[in-house]
Amino acid sequence: MSRPGFSPEGVTFGVCLVTLGVLGTLANLGRIEILPLLRTWWPLALVLWGALELVDLWARRSSQGRS
Amino acid sequence: MSSQSFDPQSAASSGSAPPALPPGSAPYVRLPKSPGLAAFLSLFPGLGQVYNGRIARAFVFFFAWVGSIYLTANGHEFPFAFMIPFVYLFNIIDAWKGANAANARFLGGQGEPEEQPEIESPVWGASLVFFGLVILFSNLGWLDLERLARWWPLLLIAVGAYFVYASLQARKAGGLAPDNQPTYPRGSGDEPPRL
Repeated sequence: MSRPGFSPEGVTFGVCLVTLGVLGTLANLGRIEILPLLRTWWPLALVLWGALELVDLWARRSSQGRS
Repeated sequence: MSSQSFDPQSAASSGSAPPALPPGSAPYVRLPKSPGLAAFLSLFPGLGQVYNGRIARAFVFFFAWVGSIYLTANGHEFPFAFMIPFVYLFNIIDAWKGANAANARFLGGQGEPEEQPEIESPVWGASLVFFGLVILFSNLGWLDLERLARWWPLLLIAVGAYFVYASLQARKAGGLAPDNQPTYPRGSGDEPPRL
């Protein structure tokens, strides 16, 4: 969170936007139904965000331990 | 009337010195955040926090607001109907305070830290993963949240206990009162003057 150049919520937000863009394109092309997919799988964004927070925290702690 | 503005950040990056001021006049400094604009943007919950650069808080406020409305509409009036105005007003106040804190940091004062210390613990990330998995499993039909609904007050107990624990730890660690005011031994002569 405070590591310069890396922000878990920023990465999550970017990944969500990219995913929404891909799904929206596929839905416009008639390949998928976007709403049922989003309704089921949106919690994956929370899981990704939490996992990135944990990874960031561990990386910062290990770098502090080395210095 | 001519007004000159001086931006310390651009001056620092360019290495130029500020223009000389007439004696007795204070320099005009353009603050990076407008508390009024932050509060106005928060009329849509989370937008003021985005303006302040606090994306994590924006997510939390937005989903707390939407989630409270959703759960109230789905028959869980208590406590979520009470949470809607609470979350909404707290979101506006938080945006206002966040902008003020950013300005204080910009001026080199003792502003509120950018991130709360508790958000630096693994509890935050683990909670996100936990709630994400619970909701995902519920969506996939692997978990029946309706059967767990009667146990939701345990969540209040857990959160309350965590706040008590965190307050006690902070007091023990820093010797600071909960409101971040230094404590003074009674009669030590170090107390600030009472106004």
